[in-house]
Amino acid sequence: MKKRVLAIFLVMCGLMMVVAVVFADLKKGYYRPAELGSLRQTALIELSPDSNYQVSAYPVPGADLVPGDGRQEVQTYCNTCHSPIYVTMQPPLPAATWEAEVNKMNKAYGAAIPEDTTQKIIRYLQAHYTVENRTP
Amino acid sequence: MSVADRSFSRRGIFKALGVMTGGITLGRWLGSSAVAAQEPVQTKAIETFTGPGANPHWNSVGPYVAEPQKVPLILLTDRPVQLETPRHYFRTAFTPNEAFYVRWHLEGIPNTVDLKDWKLQIEGNVNNPLALSLPELMQKFKPVSLAAVNQCSGNSRSRLQPRVPGGQWGNGAMGNAMWTGVRLRALLEVAGVKSDSLQVQFQGLENGQGPKGLGSNLFLKSLDLGNPVLDECIVAYLMNGEPLPMLNGFPVRLVVPGYFATYWTKSLTWIRVLNSPDENFWMKTAYRIPDTPRGNTNPEDMKAGKVKTVPIERLPVRSFLIWPDGTSKIPAGMNIRLQGIAFSGFGRVNRVEVSEDGGKTWLPAELGEDHGPYSFRTWGMSWTAKSQGRHTLAVRATDEKGIVQPDEPVWNAGGYLWNMIERQEIVVGKAS
Repeated sequence: MKKRVLAIFLVMCGLMMVVAVVFADLKKGYYRPAELGSLRQTALIELSPDSNYQVSAYPVPGADLVPGDGRQEVQTYCNTCHSPIYVTMQPPLPAATWEAEVNKMNKAYGAAIPEDTTQKIIRYLQAHYTVENRTP
Repeated sequence: MSVADRSFSRRGIFKALGVMTGGITLGRWLGSSAVAAQEPVQTKAIETFTGPGANPHWNSVGPYVAEPQKVPLILLTDRPVQLETPRHYFRTAFTPNEAFYVRWHLEGIPNTVDLKDWKLQIEGNVNNPLALSLPELMQKFKPVSLAAVNQCSGNSRSRLQPRVPGGQWGNGAMGNAMWTGVRLRALLEVAGVKSDSLQVQFQGLENGQGPKGLGSNLFLKSLDLGNPVLDECIVAYLMNGEPLPMLNGFPVRLVVPGYFATYWTKSLTWIRVLNSPDENFWMKTAYRIPDTPRGNTNPEDMKAGKVKTVPIERLPVRSFLIWPDGTSKIPAGMNIRLQGIAFSGFGRVNRVEVSEDGGKTWLPAELGEDHGPYSFRTWGMSWTAKSQGRHTLAVRATDEKGIVQPDEPVWNAGGYLWNMIERQEIVVGKAS
């Protein structure tokens, strides 16, 4: 009888240990590598009690435009009024929409991009930012 | 048995073997290598863009960015600056200034304002042009306070099908604040509006690189002098009892209660009375909606030139479930509190309802404190998932004009006026 109780006790202990080990490993201690300071805090700027109300420069993280013929022109001309993130933020758009957008910059906003450059920019956007060819 | 369950028991067998054949150390060693090979929680960043389908997320998908006077907000664009407020900041009726969304049109926005030089000019077709310093605004005019929602015309633009170009906002291009300042009408009275005047135009400190006379040079908005909304407008120097953050329009901005944010000129410096209609780009071409019910149309009619447009005005009724937000499971049988906000530019929200059967039946939620007709109104409802599984909750609001939030999408070329009923999937797990 005592032997049986002892045996049951040992089996129970064994089971508990198995359960403890299994759960401990699944439940705790998962970490992953990450980039240090991927979003750093900004330092306070010096405040003086004069009539100037100032904030620091606005950050421009920029955007990765797909390499290709016309990228340089987008970076140069479009960047006058807005950063290239205005391109990468968009959903994939039909080729005709990209053409209309670039023409709007010239006509409505007075971008005055030379005609051949305008066509090059349109071709670049149509080659990389439509439903058919946009890559993540 | 799910895939996850199967791998779990395989590991269990492994561990049991380890214990039997020589103890815990070996078991742990075998166990951890098995675990490392099948990490149960995959961490990955959100996609960098959405489309051609609708953005499936509550917010837009950009990275976080730390801008001056702001907590990390979701970046839409960096120059000019457009930032979206993350969902969880909408748990309260008033949106914290440091989390309030940002939308500028032109890249020349102020980093510095010298209050020694800054004056609010009231000019144009008036008898006594004025130039008022901030102390004059604060002391010579009776301060008034009003809670009002500021929502971008293009809020939720990323929901539209087909997608339209523009700022690809999720739902976070909105915020509610207690605005304190001077009545616009009081300023106009002192300046003496001439009788042949038609509109009043607003200009802030922002300007762009474009040629003079075009929309890329100045951002100008106007309202008709006969528009009753002018009686409610405030030139605000306080936002939630604090000076306005630079990115939200320090030192003063126009508050147009019930109207979309396009009229809420930031860093307002020129109030100009006009005796002819304002035909600048931002009135004549941009921020216009189809003159149809809900501003709804389709790409075909648009292309065919069949669509007459009018300037955008008031905010259609909307409501949101803020929590639960779908980021974690709810144990079955647990009684939780659904929390959200609702608003309308046509008058106060007086009913918010929740449906868990796809809109067949609706249960009333409890409304939070009434901060006035143009404020966010919080709502809450205690809710218990009857069964484990995937539940979809829908929320709709009704305003005091009796306008019920619709369950149909909107489409127009500008990507404006989205106010379709929002839905949230809630995963309810087994509790035992």
